[in-house]
Amino acid sequence: MNGRWRLALLALAALLLAPLIWSVASALPPFGAPEAAYGPAVNALLPGARNVSNMVAAVNFDVRGIDTLGEESMLLCAVVGAVVLLRGRRGEDRGDRAGRVPGRPIVERDDATILACRIAALLVLLFGAYVALHGTVTPGGGFQGGAIAASGLLLVYPGEDYSCWRALVPGTVLTVIEGAGALIFVLAAALPLAGGHAALANILPLGTWKDLYSGGVMVVVNFAVALAVVGGFGLLLIEFMEETRAPEEDPVPDEEDR
Amino acid sequence: MTSLPWLAALPWLAAAWLFAIGVYGVVTSRHYVHLIGCLSVCQSSTYMLLLGVGFRRGAGPPIFYDHPPGTPAVDPVMQALVLTDIVVGAAVTALLLVIALQVHKRCGLVDPQRLRPLRGPK
Repeated sequence: MNGRWRLALLALAALLLAPLIWSVASALPPFGAPEAAYGPAVNALLPGARNVSNMVAAVNFDVRGIDTLGEESMLLCAVVGAVVLLRGRRGEDRGDRAGRVPGRPIVERDDATILACRIAALLVLLFGAYVALHGTVTPGGGFQGGAIAASGLLLVYPGEDYSCWRALVPGTVLTVIEGAGALIFVLAAALPLAGGHAALANILPLGTWKDLYSGGVMVVVNFAVALAVVGGFGLLLIEFMEETRAPEEDPVPDEEDR
Repeated sequence: MTSLPWLAALPWLAAAWLFAIGVYGVVTSRHYVHLIGCLSVCQSSTYMLLLGVGFRRGAGPPIFYDHPPGTPAVDPVMQALVLTDIVVGAAVTALLLVIALQVHKRCGLVDPQRLRPLRGPK
């Protein structure tokens, strides 16, 4: 199928769908005046019922906690799939020397770069931990804090050289962190079942409103999510880096594919 | 607002437009990395739609730290959905990039329009 046919089919589909989209868009409640009752109910009830001030975290980790568990396993599956595909023929074989293109000079890093990266990496890691730990109190949570901390891990790389980065950010530790995060979440969901409660039931003491410990089981789940996100994104970083390190054996394309 | 019905529907139409230009990019793409970027544009239309559905005029964030519970706040369920949407989207984008890398390794090409179906061993 050539490009012109594709575009013609796309135009046909757009023409058929446009009236439907228009009817849906004009039937939705007008912008700024939602009619759903779920969100306002959460806003009204949960600050008192769970002693948390961040309603988004309350929805993610308590009210719709099982949904987040499913979403967390999607994250785990995507990371595992990416890691398995990237390792592929490379297997478990990995090294800590940087990839090198023959004939290209190795430029020393500037002192200013090293200093800036060291300061920035520390601050970003600290900020990630802060955002993750205060998930139930202020805007933030495990997902956001984990992503920030993972980018802090990447910032370590331009400051140190490759082997030092790999020594500071060991893949095994990240694997353990990733697995531990998923395991803690599953345990938090399954352990209440053993006591005769519903899955993910909030049976821990709720803590005090606006406090670092508030929301009971939400604190645990938030921490688990932060671990899983740091571990997952960190593993992806390492595996993509490994990919640049081993360029020597060029792929042997199958003849029949050509 | 009622005198201009299309203005009330503008965020939904903007989301549909984002989705449409993403699909256009996917259909006409000549490079897998470009295609994955276009898919992210499609996905960002869902952020637009969800945040638009949850928005309440004159309301604050659903974080009751500075202002006490009971003050008007936007829908937290939609924000939670967008949050998980973004994180899963990032992980899936990484997975797709890996698959593109794998295609490049096996077939030596990055153009979706030139890719032929794989044949099994004879």
